Amino acid sequence: MNAILEQRQAVLPELSPRLAEMKRRIRAGEHHRFRTTETVDVLAECEREGLDWTQRAARLTRRMCEAQTVVIEPDEQIVFTRTVRRVSALYRPEQMEERLAGRVFHELGPISNVCADWGMVLGQGLIARRAAAEAARARLAGDQEAKTFVDAAIETIDAVLALARRYAEAARALGRGDLADVLERVPAYPATTFREALQSLRLCHAVLWLSGHYHCGLGRLDQYLWPYLEEDLAKGRLDLAEAQELLEEFFISLNKDSDLYPGIQQGDNGQSLMLGGARRDGGDGVNPLTGMAMEAGRKVALIDPKINLRVTRDTNLGLLAKGVQLTRIGLGFPQWCNDEVIIPGLVAAGYELEDARDYSVAACWEFIIPGKGMEVVNIGAVSMPAAADQAIRAGLEAGENFDRIIERTDANLAEQVRAVTKSSRTLLLPPAPWYSVLMDGCLERGRDLCHGLKYNNFGIHGAGSSNAADALAAVRALVYERRRIDPARLIRALDSDFEGEEALRTELQEDAPKVGNNDDLVDDLLVKLFDRFADACAAAGDNGRGGHYRPGTGTAMYYIWLARGHEGMTEPTVGATADGRRKGAFFSSSLAPSPNVQVRGPLSVLQSFGKLDYRRVCNGGPLTMELADSLFRGTDAIEKVALYVRAFIRSGCQQMQLNTLNVDTLRDAKLHPERHRNLVVRVWGWSGYFCELDESYQDQIIGRHIYGA
Amino acid sequence: MKADTSGVVFDIRELTIHDGPGLRTTVFLKGCPLHCAWCHNPEGRSRDPEVLHGPNGDRLAGRSYRADELAALLNRQSPLLAEGGVSFSGGEPLMQAAFLEAVLERLEGLHVVVGTTGYASAKDFLSIVRRCDLVLFDLKLLDPEAHRRWAGGDNRVILENLKRLADLGSPYLIRVPLVPGVTDTEANLRAIARHVRELPGRRPRVELLPYNLAAGGKYAACGLEWRPEYDETAPCRTDLTPFQEFEVEAIVL
Repeated sequence: MNAILEQRQAVLPELSPRLAEMKRRIRAGEHHRFRTTETVDVLAECEREGLDWTQRAARLTRRMCEAQTVVIEPDEQIVFTRTVRRVSALYRPEQMEERLAGRVFHELGPISNVCADWGMVLGQGLIARRAAAEAARARLAGDQEAKTFVDAAIETIDAVLALARRYAEAARALGRGDLADVLERVPAYPATTFREALQSLRLCHAVLWLSGHYHCGLGRLDQYLWPYLEEDLAKGRLDLAEAQELLEEFFISLNKDSDLYPGIQQGDNGQSLMLGGARRDGGDGVNPLTGMAMEAGRKVALIDPKINLRVTRDTNLGLLAKGVQLTRIGLGFPQWCNDEVIIPGLVAAGYELEDARDYSVAACWEFIIPGKGMEVVNIGAVSMPAAADQAIRAGLEAGENFDRIIERTDANLAEQVRAVTKSSRTLLLPPAPWYSVLMDGCLERGRDLCHGLKYNNFGIHGAGSSNAADALAAVRALVYERRRIDPARLIRALDSDFEGEEALRTELQEDAPKVGNNDDLVDDLLVKLFDRFADACAAAGDNGRGGHYRPGTGTAMYYIWLARGHEGMTEPTVGATADGRRKGAFFSSSLAPSPNVQVRGPLSVLQSFGKLDYRRVCNGGPLTMELADSLFRGTDAIEKVALYVRAFIRSGCQQMQLNTLNVDTLRDAKLHPERHRNLVVRVWGWSGYFCELDESYQDQIIGRHIYGA
Repeated sequence: MKADTSGVVFDIRELTIHDGPGLRTTVFLKGCPLHCAWCHNPEGRSRDPEVLHGPNGDRLAGRSYRADELAALLNRQSPLLAEGGVSFSGGEPLMQAAFLEAVLERLEGLHVVVGTTGYASAKDFLSIVRRCDLVLFDLKLLDPEAHRRWAGGDNRVILENLKRLADLGSPYLIRVPLVPGVTDTEANLRAIARHVRELPGRRPRVELLPYNLAAGGKYAACGLEWRPEYDETAPCRTDLTPFQEFEVEAIVL
């Protein structure tokens, strides 16, 4: 523990003046002056040439790359600044309707929320990827679909190579020989240094966004970058301080173009990365970059990248403390992932052990295997409060016993799952030649990513679980066991949103067991809700793409949508509920006690949620905990919170977000946004600038349980 | 000790920061024989449950627990408290020594810390500290008059118990609340340092707790007026020199 004490007393380093200035420019949007007003229109030429969908997607990548203006700022070591704002459409709306032929897109359409095999891409380089494509074309001669795909993939590779070449030439012309050398090597050839690896990654990743993809993950950054840094260090080409600064510059660069990325709110962009955890062979994957990346996240203190850390009970306390230093500044990073629970869960869900050990997260928390998954981890949600509410009303009206209400809840959940899975079977994933280049085996098989990879599962969020369990527990305790509330009166009160029934509402809220207190009288219902949800997903069978349905414990934005309704949403909304929640009141984000209920504290919360069988709910979804920033005033607070993380691991919970906030600051930020422009908060699977959030999201955060105040 | 011995608890908090090593849950026992002018837990003074009238509505402070009930509640947390334990604070936990002893007897494998003013009978004091893994012993003022004036009570009782604790040889720490112009004076800190130096056995560490400006926060809710007779805005002296001089290990928390 002495190491931690020393760390705590040391003054934590800040960004170098060069990077502080770079960060300032980006936050001020000074680089927006490079953005062009021109739009790239590929429609006309696609029609002229009679291109099919795959060819059009490739042409888009090519034209977007060509339209980029080269931007090299004098102080940049890692370059690329997006200058083209909008991504062109590939079909006119009516043509798109025709192509869909009754099938539906997921969200905006283009493939999103997956993660490339960055280790493979950096290690092979694009010329080798091109060779792999050529080899497949030769091997699959006669397979027209393969030929079209491979040619399209090559078109995208050539476009990226040409873009890199233009950057290299410009660098040379500016007298930036160092930069020109890097860009002449990568992404064409395998990266040979840490800097080349970062530059290659920056460019290849940015082109995903240019191609219309979004929520583009960064995967296990410390795993695939460490070999480059290790060799630099061994050969004396770079020291740790220089490497740290390069990594920080890379992190800053991820914030340059993010205002152009689509998402529910700005910040919801899925630039997530994973640190630490087991290697594919089961050994410990923690390396010096693990801590460096957390340090970089703390120093850069911007909303990207979103940092996740894999832990086990053997994770050393020093690394946990580094994570807590990052927690302390309030970005909501890292999100803690418990390998001891997640890896067996993925194996139980059909993932090979080596792949399961290699998991990262999609945009928010959903577990995916980089390079090997074409999974759609968020095809919809079930509203557990709606399932419980319908069951409670129907059961009470029919004068049934409580067991029957539970059975009705199960049936309602199953029905909701059926509705989600039914619409998901008509899902259409459009071709993605550039993303295919970056995945494991697409080029080799001559098949586009849209046709699937090794893993092709769909994920469903299980939202509002605490409110649902609390509602059922309140009915069981107050209507059935203690007979304090008359069923008809309860139904009337729910219908009228507790109009004139404040005392009843208080009783429901205060005199019944609540999730978060390690109380089996309600936690058993929570466990059962997720079990039945998992049963229903299992019963739904194949998803039409060779995968199955993965239930999860996350909510994404459904903690607001399911309470208030949302345009285009097919999931049911619910009014006032029997846990004493008023109509329209938000649910908790992912796993957390219901808003406004009293809980004993953060340990009891771990014990309540530790009862879930996470082997059955492996789509992910974090226990979400807010810590008061005042908790960190104590001299050994870092150590205490690190021990709390260990307790989380020991509790058997799966994933945890620890957010640090100060409610007074948040309230002030609502009144005086100009004073808090850089205030970052974790929203759900992502963090955003508080003042840029819609008010409903701001209010939900202010209303969360805050521990340690 | 009987399982149905009952006691009054005014709060149970998880993940407390200042109540001992590691990850801890702290039980606050109600009732205190002293009335320190800087007390920041005024609801811990009276032994009886009372209703607090706070800005967010009324709240009952104080709930009766049976010893086996409280012990069971704490034992259920023991899987998560392996790197820490439970702490008992107050009020003055020794005011309910029989209850506390009955609880401690029933704890299973939990590291136990008790924070005490030391103002208790020798019998009560020993019955509890013998069962603790660590004692946090408050030492406020060494001058008997000053102690009577600011904290109430005879500090000879406290110093005798401190001697008993030292004789026992089990781990303990000295905690000194720093109150501007009252306990943080050079004379008082020197007297404490000298006293600690002369204690038998292994010399304990002294932890200085800087004054908490939120001390008066809960008085209104308790129906009391917060009117400190010292200047609470004055800077706190956190001078460790007297301790260094007497070769006593000291830190500021």
